[in-house]
Amino acid sequence: MTRVVVSGLGVVSPYGTGAKTFWTGLANGTCAIRPLTAIDTEGFRSRIGAEVPADVLASLGPSRRRARADRLALAAAREALADADLSPTDRACAGLFVGAVGGGMFEAETWYWEETRTGRPSPRIGALRSILPSTHAETLSFRLGLCGPKETVVMACASGAASLALGLDLIRSGAAPLALCGGVDALTRVCFMGFNALRLLDLEPCRPFDRDRKGMSIGEAAAFVVLEEAAHCRERGGRVHAEFLGAGMTTDAHHVTSPEPNADGMVRAIEEALTAAGRAPGDIGYVNAHGTGTPQNDRVEALALARVFGPGRVLISSTKSLVGHTMAAAGSVEAVASVLTLQHGLVPPTANLRATDPDVPFDCVPETARAVELEAVLSNSFGFGGQNVSLVFGR
Amino acid sequence: MSAPRRVVVTGMGSVSAGGIGGSAAVDRILAEAASPIRPVLAFDTAGWPSRLGAEVDDAALEGLLDPAAARRLSRICRLTVAGCRLAVEDSGVPPGPALGLVVGTEHGDFRSSEEFVTGYLKRGPSGLSPMIFPNTVMNSMAAVAAIEIGARGPSVTVNQATVAGDLAVARAAALVRDGRALAVVAGGVDEMLGQVYRRLSEMGVLSPAAGRGPEGCRPYEPDHNGVVLGEGATFLVLEDLESARARGAVIHAEIRSAAWGNLCVAPHTAPPRRRDPHSPALRALVSAAVAPSAVRTCYGSGNGDPALDDWELGLLAADRLPAPVSLTSRFGQHGGLGALRVAAAALDRARGTVPSATGLVVVHGLARGGCRTALLIDRAA
Repeated sequence: MTRVVVSGLGVVSPYGTGAKTFWTGLANGTCAIRPLTAIDTEGFRSRIGAEVPADVLASLGPSRRRARADRLALAAAREALADADLSPTDRACAGLFVGAVGGGMFEAETWYWEETRTGRPSPRIGALRSILPSTHAETLSFRLGLCGPKETVVMACASGAASLALGLDLIRSGAAPLALCGGVDALTRVCFMGFNALRLLDLEPCRPFDRDRKGMSIGEAAAFVVLEEAAHCRERGGRVHAEFLGAGMTTDAHHVTSPEPNADGMVRAIEEALTAAGRAPGDIGYVNAHGTGTPQNDRVEALALARVFGPGRVLISSTKSLVGHTMAAAGSVEAVASVLTLQHGLVPPTANLRATDPDVPFDCVPETARAVELEAVLSNSFGFGGQNVSLVFGR
Repeated sequence: MSAPRRVVVTGMGSVSAGGIGGSAAVDRILAEAASPIRPVLAFDTAGWPSRLGAEVDDAALEGLLDPAAARRLSRICRLTVAGCRLAVEDSGVPPGPALGLVVGTEHGDFRSSEEFVTGYLKRGPSGLSPMIFPNTVMNSMAAVAAIEIGARGPSVTVNQATVAGDLAVARAAALVRDGRALAVVAGGVDEMLGQVYRRLSEMGVLSPAAGRGPEGCRPYEPDHNGVVLGEGATFLVLEDLESARARGAVIHAEIRSAAWGNLCVAPHTAPPRRRDPHSPALRALVSAAVAPSAVRTCYGSGNGDPALDDWELGLLAADRLPAPVSLTSRFGQHGGLGALRVAAAALDRARGTVPSATGLVVVHGLARGGCRTALLIDRAA
């Protein structure tokens, strides 16, 4: 089977721009969840989240007319391509997989609010041109010269992870030697209001796997990786961050917003990824958990992990406790975190974890990062619609 | 993953302005000459530049969904579930972990997004409905359909203008070929919504805004002057050949190859004729080891958008493929149309209406922004 490596990384996160900045934040256990400023939170239960700071957004280049999400995506994608040091010829044959949900909704909301409240046409109607999630891929392919197969994957909170899984399949099928894969979501009022309405947001920064966890914290980010056929990367002298060993994708077909209580769908995704990777559960030293901080998700995910690995048999932690739940970007943000964890031999902590839930029979690396020699790691992403995606990376 | 598999079409289900049903109904609907495009009834188009559309009569969905589901689901979810159910019943494919689902859509459930936001704008935070919010995520149609048909394999929603259905079927063929599922229900869905219709009309996307002449959908014609919207859901069951044979399924056609690609152009644009050095049509032919001359029929995605129609004609001519025929003038532009084109190609091959035993059918798609798809359809193996 064709071996596929990760040869480029790019992230814009609530910590700022760049994979290095992202890793520094994770390794230090810095929680970036704060009062939100980009949207009006007056009257809502939860008023916090992890947003990309305004000065960081302002530094993302001259195209301030672009949608917030497009700007995040472009910056992260540019970093990943530069990190991989791809030639224009390589870029021209690169596939592009973008996981997205909100599209340019942040700007479209502003337009819609204005028209509805004033009853008059708003000059901001141009915002509608980038409202669809597929606009991100069109913008990236045009601006970055990516002419291989292009796909916009909408799989709720598993979108970013799915983009990597499908990119892996594309390369293994021989349709392209490399692909830029990742996810992006900017904050939107619809998302913030929706999770508030579902009462799934914690009033304080989220505490995944904690006995007293009360819900999640929303966030925004973009993260992209360059996936590449190992032989292609070697021939051009490219840098290898990690090997992408395998991926599993399953559906609960149980409930639109609740995971299957017996965790069958999650277990199948994890086992499928391990089988594809040719690894046994004992080969995995760390799981970057989906770990949202909602009572239900964390309990069911812990059950899935216990069924596959055995209680206490693997380290787990949640990146969402540090940078919030970045929605469609989360799977790719956490894929980058997983690759960096492997590289550095340091497991980022679960922030705000004071007392681990007895239903979570694992060491969740509370508060402080831990040095561990790792050969392979697994990253989980689950989403609305019972979408389960698991990824396995190796050194 | 196991070795590449051969992919066949074993079921069809369609809900469109042309009619509703499984493969026999789709065959009948495609054979009819009359177009269901007429003045829109669902919302008032007075004062807007456009007034035509191809609407699905909601009453026709009665009997396809149980009353509880019909009440609980948004309209686009009802269309999706009906289309998927028809395809699964037509195929007889069993539910389970080996069954996947791919849904292509251009606009998703905007109706629910609008309803959700309107609740807030009228009544503040207390006006927000937690029941509606999940529908605002574009994979909501796949979420409910997966439950209805028991698809527990991979479930993927792809967002794409113009060729969402084509891309979904190509994606599904790849999932079967690569061993991620033994069978995948794949197609597309969109619904007409007043807000979207009005904006597209005012932006000059819909006929007759893009040129002179009467309003209407005239793909590839000299007087094409814009798109006419349609709505509906069409889904196919794609299946591993050996698996389909083992369970004695009716095999309508084989998808010999599927490819998709991208021309690097600015978002939403359709620049005039350009070379495509990575033509998915040619890649699909090479993958199946056949020459362009073996292709007897080409279904194109032409939708009356003058720039897009002309671009597609130029690209197909450069690839030495036959002049395309379009179904858009019959059903209006919507996400389900790509799957309907593949259904038409599969039924052509099954019926032997392609004029040569060796003749193949290409289903070609091209969207503004550069997404290009190609599926090569052959007789049942």
